[in-house]
Amino acid sequence: MSVRLFEYQAKEIFRAYGIPTPKSVLAHDVAAVGEAFRGVNHPAVLKAQVLAGGRGKAGGVVSVEDEDAARREASRIFDLAIGGEKPESILVEEAYPHESEMYLSVTLDRGERSYVTIAASAGGIEVETLSGKVIRKVPLDGIDRAFAGDVATQLGLSGPQASQFSSILVALEKMSREKECELAEINPLAVGAGGRVVALDAKVIVDDNALFRHPEFAKLHPEDEFEGEASREGFAFVRLGGDIAVVGNGAGLVLSTLDLVGDAGGRPACFLDLGGGAQQDRIEAALRLANRLPESKRILVNIYGGITRSTDVAQGILAVLATGTVKPIYARVSGAEEEAARAMLSGSNVKLFGTAPEAVKAVVDAA
Amino acid sequence: MILPTKGEPVIVQNITGRYGRIHTRMMLDYGTNIAAGATPGKGGQSVEGVPVYDTVAGAVGKTGARASVVFVPAEFALAAAQEAFLAGIKLLVVITERIPVRDELTMLQLAREHGASMVGPNCPGLIIPSQSLKMGIMPATAFSPGRVALFSRSGTLMYEIADQITRAGFGQSVAMGIGGDPINGITAGECLDFVEGMSETEAVVVVGEIGGDAEERLARHIERSGHKKPVVAYVAGRHAPKEKKMGHAGAIIYGNLGTAESKIDALESAGALVAMTPSEVPSLVKQALAHR
Repeated sequence: MSVRLFEYQAKEIFRAYGIPTPKSVLAHDVAAVGEAFRGVNHPAVLKAQVLAGGRGKAGGVVSVEDEDAARREASRIFDLAIGGEKPESILVEEAYPHESEMYLSVTLDRGERSYVTIAASAGGIEVETLSGKVIRKVPLDGIDRAFAGDVATQLGLSGPQASQFSSILVALEKMSREKECELAEINPLAVGAGGRVVALDAKVIVDDNALFRHPEFAKLHPEDEFEGEASREGFAFVRLGGDIAVVGNGAGLVLSTLDLVGDAGGRPACFLDLGGGAQQDRIEAALRLANRLPESKRILVNIYGGITRSTDVAQGILAVLATGTVKPIYARVSGAEEEAARAMLSGSNVKLFGTAPEAVKAVVDAA
Repeated sequence: MILPTKGEPVIVQNITGRYGRIHTRMMLDYGTNIAAGATPGKGGQSVEGVPVYDTVAGAVGKTGARASVVFVPAEFALAAAQEAFLAGIKLLVVITERIPVRDELTMLQLAREHGASMVGPNCPGLIIPSQSLKMGIMPATAFSPGRVALFSRSGTLMYEIADQITRAGFGQSVAMGIGGDPINGITAGECLDFVEGMSETEAVVVVGEIGGDAEERLARHIERSGHKKPVVAYVAGRHAPKEKKMGHAGAIIYGNLGTAESKIDALESAGALVAMTPSEVPSLVKQALAHR
């Protein structure tokens, strides 16, 4: 799971690093939005706090002039589902009249195997479609004002704006380095009527593998019940909305199994990677989770044995079957002692197959 | 990159940990000369008959090893890599998963500074069946000496495909994990350069997955380098959703970056034969070899 911060969380960190943002107040219900509105200059912008993209197009961002409108719009926004995500809070932010917008980010360029800063003198749209981008590699130990000043010059900035821009880039890079962000993005970075440069939006994704150094990020998101359980078990788990729970050992193998299911016309309920090994207790825990997932109707298991013996996998399956009603299991288990494993499971409602495509065909056809 | 040959000494870092111990036994059983282990504070012990030293320098001093397999937990992996390079290790195979990106970038920088190669992190290691050399965690039963070089971003998918290549009678000249993280030490392009000069390799199989642009870069490398050995590829994740990490830290599509379609298109344009499922790989290998 990658840890993406809500805009309000990202802006709190921006402010701690001295990156200017408009005044804003977070509100969790309609009444609180009304109160927040009274606390900022008008007009104000209501912004749904969701992680899904396309928030503006979905009606999750709106400018309001008075408190009645603020309450009315808040009530509408709280009922939205933006990319399937219901906003749990709204950021009430002072509108910031501005003349131009820029783009600025510090992000990992995987291919170049380096952090880079990307800047553009137009903003407000997707980075992929921006033209005239300035892209510079960022050294691992950080950048100085001269580096930032060069970027400002390349963007065509001068005077106080170049100076403000440089300060913001230095701060953003420092934040990205210290908080170990995969992405720290300001889009748009606005130049106001008075010439002041302000971050209007904030998108931050932190490196979840670095969370052990950043306890402040540990509990940022309310977790889905099943994601929480999977993460406690050490499983990689993604809920996918279909009806076939896909369980296997190894991320690539499970990913490839999703493709087989998709090609056969089936819809996966989840991606569940129980990890490289496949000991009996791990299989058991994974199957219990897949079985409890309400939308899953059948369970597809794809285990490449290798070091694990198929009989250990069969033992894990039998242990789950012994605990009560279990959804039908279609399993492909390769590895040592395949025949013995097959014998152990005969007479149960578990169907064993020799290859992944056979198991996939059977589980999809069963619908 | 220089790989050890039969009987050359190899050391294991954190040999006393649960996985270090299990896999030391299996690497020894395969015929690999695991000559020493290193774990801070555990010097003087032995694991599966292999002497343990407190430091990599100690293990290297006694054995002359130039290659090391790392089972050190993520929090300490950067320090372990630094210690290994300073002790003169030239090939570092990093099995550890969940290492922070910034630490991986630093490890890569250190490897370059010391003229060393890093395989991984978050990979199953490498195996050369003809040399009884196994520096990693892959099940030996899937591999046999042969003509196909196999490189993979995924571990189990590498075993699965190796197994099918073995059953089809081709075997492997070398198989190596590139790693499932956003940052990899050895890249697929470097792997291709390596086997271009390896006479026993007649075809190359590359197993990719969604996320990043490693396959697109590999495709450009194939086009520019003019390598002659045929490439068969498989890319996992055609049905994966966007913006979700699919198990591997590196397996994530952002916007239009990292989709399976883009990778498959790039590889096909570069002349690679692309399999739609793992089980199609052996027949494409056969086809590639027939055209030589």
